[in-house]
Amino acid sequence: MSAGVRLEGLRKSYGAVEVIRGVDLDIQPEEFVVFVGPSGCGKSTLLRMIAGLEEITGGDLFIGDRRMNDVDASRRGIAMVFQTYALYPHMNVRDNMGFSLKYAGMKRDEIRRQVDEAARILGLEKLMDRRPKDLSGGQRQRVAIGRAIVRHPEVFLFDEPLSNLDAELRVQMRIEIARLHSELRSTIVYVTHDQVEAMTLADKIVVLRDGRIEQTGTPLDLYDDPDNIFVAGFIGSPKMNFLPVEAQGGALTLTEHGGQTVPMPPVGRRLEDGETATLGIRPEHFRKEGEANLEVTVEIVENLGGETYVYARQGASDILTIATGGVRGVRQGDRMTARFSPSDALLFTPDGMRIR
Amino acid sequence: MAQTRLGRNENAAGWAFVMPALALIGLFMIYPILWSLWMSFQTGRGMNTTFGGFGNIQRLFADPIFLTALGNTLIFLAIQVPIMIMLALVFAVMLNNPRLKGRGLFRTAIFLPAVTSLVAYSILFKSIFSNEGLATQVVAFFGGPQIAWLAEPFWAKVVIILAITWRWTGYNMIFYLAALQNIDRSIYEAARIDGVPARAQFFRITIPMLKPVILFTTIISTIGTLQLFDEVQNITQGGPSNATLTLSQYIYNLTFRFMPSFGYAATVSYVIVVLVAVLSTVQFWVARDRR
Ligand SMILES: Nc1ncnc2c1ncn2[C@@H]1O[C@H](COP(=O)(O)OP(=O)(O)O)[C@@H](O)[C@H]1O
Ligand SMILES: [Mg+2]
Repeated sequence: MSAGVRLEGLRKSYGAVEVIRGVDLDIQPEEFVVFVGPSGCGKSTLLRMIAGLEEITGGDLFIGDRRMNDVDASRRGIAMVFQTYALYPHMNVRDNMGFSLKYAGMKRDEIRRQVDEAARILGLEKLMDRRPKDLSGGQRQRVAIGRAIVRHPEVFLFDEPLSNLDAELRVQMRIEIARLHSELRSTIVYVTHDQVEAMTLADKIVVLRDGRIEQTGTPLDLYDDPDNIFVAGFIGSPKMNFLPVEAQGGALTLTEHGGQTVPMPPVGRRLEDGETATLGIRPEHFRKEGEANLEVTVEIVENLGGETYVYARQGASDILTIATGGVRGVRQGDRMTARFSPSDALLFTPDGMRIR
Repeated sequence: MAQTRLGRNENAAGWAFVMPALALIGLFMIYPILWSLWMSFQTGRGMNTTFGGFGNIQRLFADPIFLTALGNTLIFLAIQVPIMIMLALVFAVMLNNPRLKGRGLFRTAIFLPAVTSLVAYSILFKSIFSNEGLATQVVAFFGGPQIAWLAEPFWAKVVIILAITWRWTGYNMIFYLAALQNIDRSIYEAARIDGVPARAQFFRITIPMLKPVILFTTIISTIGTLQLFDEVQNITQGGPSNATLTLSQYIYNLTFRFMPSFGYAATVSYVIVVLVAVLSTVQFWVARDRR
């Protein structure tokens, strides 16, 4: 059983400081929604408002069809997994998972059954008698997830659950959470500052900045078709390159790149001569072929084996990041031509809005 | 391992560094402890002592004043320590609530007694519980009976318990507060979402998590109460009719008030040592990890 969540004009202030400034969002049942954004943008606060851990200053929150603004956290049909796991340190794994069920008035046998079932799903059977301190980070996170599963919530809330894990475990747990979602078919709201987690897990990504939604969409929507320069820069790794340009006779002059000219990307409106804009081009969109080309000097080369990132600049321009695929043999100081197809590039107005 | 010349030099330097401290500790701690153990087998008055074997220990069991002092001390211990620990816990949990206004003020107010001078506060308590004192007037104001606080054995004990509780609750509370502030807040948030009632959060989460600190403060308080001296000496002088006499006070009396009986006083001191050892062991055993 899973419910949808609806946020209507949700606001939150701490004293005079407004940290959530009117958020509207519709989350479908069984949807995996990821809140992503830079640190301090209000992701956790928004999640905690859904959980009932923070009071809602303005707007309405619905879980299923019920307005939940004033409903106690324990009655919202949600379960939450915290970044620090928040396990009870003095209880073993079994008690940690079963503790809440006791207060839900469940019979002992039934608790045992539920906990065993969750342990089976998460592969925790052999650890049931251990205390949290005798578990690895990944195992602790599994127990925390197990504690959420046994309550059969309508909505799971995750607040940066993988941030305390090392890189390898993070990938492993990410896959596990994805598997869990497809197995349980529950609604999940998941907070992270890591856009890779967002891209890989989400059905729908919500990009937040300064307490507002910048854009909502599927991972590929946001990657291919960002609404503004913030989303374009936030989604995708390494970051998109932004080049200041000026329209000149139907082409773009790169003002900081020695006045080179590149063809105009296909956009719906004509730019006036002399109009300034920002050209966005992803590192991976530099190819061997393409009508547009940039002459650059290589500054740093990062060889990852399968992928090589070249950081280059032209004169005094900002550094450009170029993904060259598996190309080897590029050295510092080399001159190279970075080509791209204008149809892959995006254009933004000086105040950061997308020109479509 | 073969000692090199350098190694020997380093050893010598090391010993030279710790020697002054060791000498002082030896002179003022280890020597008196051993000497008092020897003393506890001496009988006689003043400087005039002879070896008495277990005579002093036999004397303990036949000494009505010792038995009274022991009884009083154990009563103080059994009543005051649990009350104080519970109070300190409750205060700490209340002060740890981030929504409480004026936390700093309350925290200071509750801790302040622990840093006031023993004599000053004893005199204050003495005056509050005197015949015209504040406590007497308050009781009278609410239509209560006239209580001769310091003249009745029962009430004198109550006053002493109130006094030490007043002084030491804040001290213990600080330990709990420090421990509570180290608990990850999200544990309580998880409990809240899980629908664990506040009472169960206190008894099933807070108390077990504070267990090591509770054990520590209980032992410290037990030792403190077994050595209780200043308050009784200043407020009641052990009276009325030895109703508040404690072991430490009795040791003091044996040594300085009566014709000095150093040997017997040392024996009573070792009674306190044995009590501390036994009670601490019991407390460790009760608080052991049952798994
Ligand atoms: N209890 C609080 N009092 C005042 N400001 C807060 C409080 N909690 C969070 N904030 C502020 O709200 C903003 C959003 O915080 P948070 O939701 O934790 O960000 P995120 O999880 O996106 O990193 C931050 O600027 C933070 O300083
Ligand atoms: Mg956060």
